Amino acid sequence: MGGQVVTITSGKGGVGKTTATANLGVALARRGQRVVCIDADIGLRNLDVVLGLENRIVYDLVDVIEGRAKLRQGLIKDKRLPELHLLPAAQKRDKTAVTDKQMIKLCDDLRKEFDFVLVDSPAGIEGGFKYSIAPAYQVLIVVTPEVSSVRDADRVIGLVEAQEKSSPRLIINRMRPSMVRRGEMLATSDVLEILSIELLGIVPEDEAIITSTNKGHPVALEDHSPAGAAFTRIAQRMMGEDVAFQALDESGGLLDRFSRLFRR
Amino acid sequence: MTISFKGTREGLLITLGEGVWHDVLNELAAQLNRPSAQSFFKGARVILETGARPIAVTELEELIALFAQHEMTLTSVMGERQTQEAFDQVQASLPPPESLTRGNADETGVPPDATTALLVHRTVRSGQVIRHAGTVVVIGDVNPGAEVIAEGDVIVWGKLRGVVHAGASGNENAIVGALVLTPTQLRIGGYIARAPDDRRSGNWVAEIARVRGEQIIVELWSA
Ligand SMILES: Nc1ncnc2c1ncn2[C@@H]1O[C@H](COP(=O)(O)OP(=O)(O)OP(=O)(O)O)[C@@H](O)[C@H]1O
Ligand SMILES: [Mg+2]
Repeated sequence: MGGQVVTITSGKGGVGKTTATANLGVALARRGQRVVCIDADIGLRNLDVVLGLENRIVYDLVDVIEGRAKLRQGLIKDKRLPELHLLPAAQKRDKTAVTDKQMIKLCDDLRKEFDFVLVDSPAGIEGGFKYSIAPAYQVLIVVTPEVSSVRDADRVIGLVEAQEKSSPRLIINRMRPSMVRRGEMLATSDVLEILSIELLGIVPEDEAIITSTNKGHPVALEDHSPAGAAFTRIAQRMMGEDVAFQALDESGGLLDRFSRLFRR
Repeated sequence: MTISFKGTREGLLITLGEGVWHDVLNELAAQLNRPSAQSFFKGARVILETGARPIAVTELEELIALFAQHEMTLTSVMGERQTQEAFDQVQASLPPPESLTRGNADETGVPPDATTALLVHRTVRSGQVIRHAGTVVVIGDVNPGAEVIAEGDVIVWGKLRGVVHAGASGNENAIVGALVLTPTQLRIGGYIARAPDDRRSGNWVAEIARVRGEQIIVELWSA
């Protein structure tokens, strides 16, 4: 059997893929899951910074793929959470350094030892996106409640659907309930109406994300921040637990209806 | 498997998967050349589904040439916008589409294009284009950024919010119908209309657009 390969992608850049990967990795590891996060954004690595593991890098993804380092040597173990590991991106290479086949092989090897292999995809729909989703068993789409982000997410969902993978699931990030109430931001229901895929969770806009990113200390390491709690609930859902959607998730009854609608 | 074949009422659905173009083309040629398959493929109308793979002009030309060897005609393409642009460029070299006039039922009472409708049973998403030399029926939504181009009618059992062109080779009798008709742009034959800004999505009122007196009008879809 082995673990699941889950790719986090979005189409549009800067919507929170890396933030989501780091925090879901932390939240899953805190619940005892063996997790490896792969930074697939070759040339623009930053998952290591968000996880606070930058100073521990010796080898990277491309070193492992090209055989200069053994898989074991490439993985960085997080001292805070023994179950959490990072395979960092190469800094001085570009996205042509890796092929779909190589990523599939790598993830197949990792699945034997980990419960979750999380792949942080680069933005866009080019090569980097393709080799990131090639090994995926499950694809998570990160979207912010903005028209342009939703449009790009829709495009990416179409590309994933064309690949005979299981239907992608959605994370709505940076939600601001007060703006939705004033009609200044798309509501959850507006986003779901267009994308019509299963909602995995909603993460609120949270200043704690910014400070934690700078410190390399993901919010999901603690329980008190709203975003950290939201990522923890998403991690639980990824583990198959049935976690109710919170009131923060805005539109209340409507949302319940949607999550039921899309449950298989 | 990179290539799949499926016989449908509308024609032969050929789906091309991932892989190096040269290999895909060779495999397709080998499949079409199998002696046992000759009669099955000969004269078929082809619906080409290219999924996430963009097809370049030269690649499309190779496909069309291959189909021609087997007396097959490419009538529909479902895929990426880039593929559709390639299709536009080579279309001049294609055999002229059959004339598909709507409504003028023959003696049997069956409209002539009834057998050529293409059924698309999914959400057509941003960046995807569906083109068909007949009527297109979508069961699902046509999202903003998606496009449906049909030589016949376009019927959407869902929300139509993308770009739609019915009667694309000049048939002004074509219609567009949807459960929610709020397209970004709507064309019938040579006429163009845009949904007025005050038409908010979400109203489930089935409507039909058609050409009446030199313009596109929208009316309630009631028999
Ligand atoms: N819920 C949130 N609340 C506040 N800030 C957030 C939230 N999620 C992400 N951010 C901020 O948004 C910025 C972009 O996030 P991130 O780097 O995770 O996006 P990305 O999708 O990985 O970007 P790229 O496409 O460049 O890889 C960061 O500065 C991050 O701190
Ligand atoms: Mg990133």
